[in-house]
Amino acid sequence: MKRQGPVVVAFIIGMLMLIQFFTPNPFFLRLYNLFLDWKQVVLGCTLILGTWSLIRYHTRRIGRRQQNWQYSYVTLIGLAFMVLAALIWKTEGGPYRWMFQNIQVPMQATMFSLLAFYVASASYRAFRARTFAATLLLIAGALVMLGRVPVGALIGGNIGGHEVTVSTIADWILNVPNLAAKRGIMIGVGLGMTATAIKIILGIETTYLGKSD
Amino acid sequence: MAFYDRMMQIDRRIIYLCMTLAVAIPLIVPIGMPVQVSDEARGFYDHIEDLEAGDIVLFSFDYEGDVMAELNPMSIAALRHLFRQGVRVVSVTMYAGGTGIAQDILEETAAEYGKEYGIDYVFLGYNPDWSGTILRLGESFKATYPADQFGKSTREIPLMQDVETYDDIALLVSIAGSALSEYWAIWAGGRYGVTVVSGNTAIQAILIYPYYNAGQIPGFLGGLKGAAEYERLVDIPGLGIKGMDAQSVAHLLMLSFIVIGNVGYFLSRRHERKLKEE
Repeated sequence: MKRQGPVVVAFIIGMLMLIQFFTPNPFFLRLYNLFLDWKQVVLGCTLILGTWSLIRYHTRRIGRRQQNWQYSYVTLIGLAFMVLAALIWKTEGGPYRWMFQNIQVPMQATMFSLLAFYVASASYRAFRARTFAATLLLIAGALVMLGRVPVGALIGGNIGGHEVTVSTIADWILNVPNLAAKRGIMIGVGLGMTATAIKIILGIETTYLGKSD
Repeated sequence: MAFYDRMMQIDRRIIYLCMTLAVAIPLIVPIGMPVQVSDEARGFYDHIEDLEAGDIVLFSFDYEGDVMAELNPMSIAALRHLFRQGVRVVSVTMYAGGTGIAQDILEETAAEYGKEYGIDYVFLGYNPDWSGTILRLGESFKATYPADQFGKSTREIPLMQDVETYDDIALLVSIAGSALSEYWAIWAGGRYGVTVVSGNTAIQAILIYPYYNAGQIPGFLGGLKGAAEYERLVDIPGLGIKGMDAQSVAHLLMLSFIVIGNVGYFLSRRHERKLKEE
């Protein structure tokens, strides 16, 4: 019963959601809206669960004096401060907004900006024309890299009456080989998702229930 | 160490220093690279240009602070274009960290054009369930967002009196640092028939091409270059055009290092072959 119950629920809800997609019947529309409301409530609850999990994880780290446990204090104090600041001064202004604009946003932007340095260093070391496939990747990567900035449009000339620049070659790579590969992947993923959904609805795929007893 | 070995083992600190200079110098001393407009950017521009004063656009800030350097110029330029056209804007975000960014940009651009909150634009804020939110908006905006970002009931906001479902939305603009533009196109576009245009990071833009070629996203801006193209189209130069010089030089620098590494690699292989033959 412990396993059969969720499988039956998944089957009923799955079938109802499948049917509602194809019918304008008001009953199914109401049902659809009801489930969407439930989904939002459930996901709202996961935020509470996530916060609780974060607090537990960091209090344990502090309690056990694990490596770099001092940083856990920063996390917990930051969490408590932002919650209190939002409750007391609201989010439109005051310390909450100041902290967001001057601490969180610059930190996020800095972390992402560091990628420019790592990518430059990593591409220098990794992009070597060792094999045919690696050479192909190297050439395509170089053309797209140049073609996606204005300088790419300045490199090239008139070939057989056609204006051919690095940018036009990059556009072709993105619109033809890239598009074909992406479409293939998307069709594969779509078929995989459909097959998995059918297996879950029919109770064939039950790994979402966790380990069997 | 042989010369070709040195070519293959440049100290990463030298690469970092060169990259810093390649980005910083063009920002301080602009070169003024010409920006050519792509069909994708023109599609985005045309769909906003075709709107009439009073139309309502749903504008989704689907990103956080990490990608703001690439996406903020797009959001700012698009909102300036919309407000200039007299279009009303209903704004949301699918990221918790997007609320502050959206608030800042909306307030800044609305002030430039003398737009009033609640009449000309509204910010509904963040909902924790993005897939449910996209689908639920197709049934009822007010049920999905009973209150705006500042706690005011959406039933009391004048602009929201004209918005019930996607049927009231003339265009949906998603500026995204993730796959959210695709989800807007699949669910809001596919199921409810709303036209979706998007602005994406350069990495994400590559994934938009299938939707663009299929007509599901009839226009998009790809990375900072897309932002620069759009700024040129709306004739309001901003951070996109300013950043193009730095990005061009940085890309050229990266390519130069790749070429140096490969020349070193080929020289070392030739040397190894010679040694074997001897």
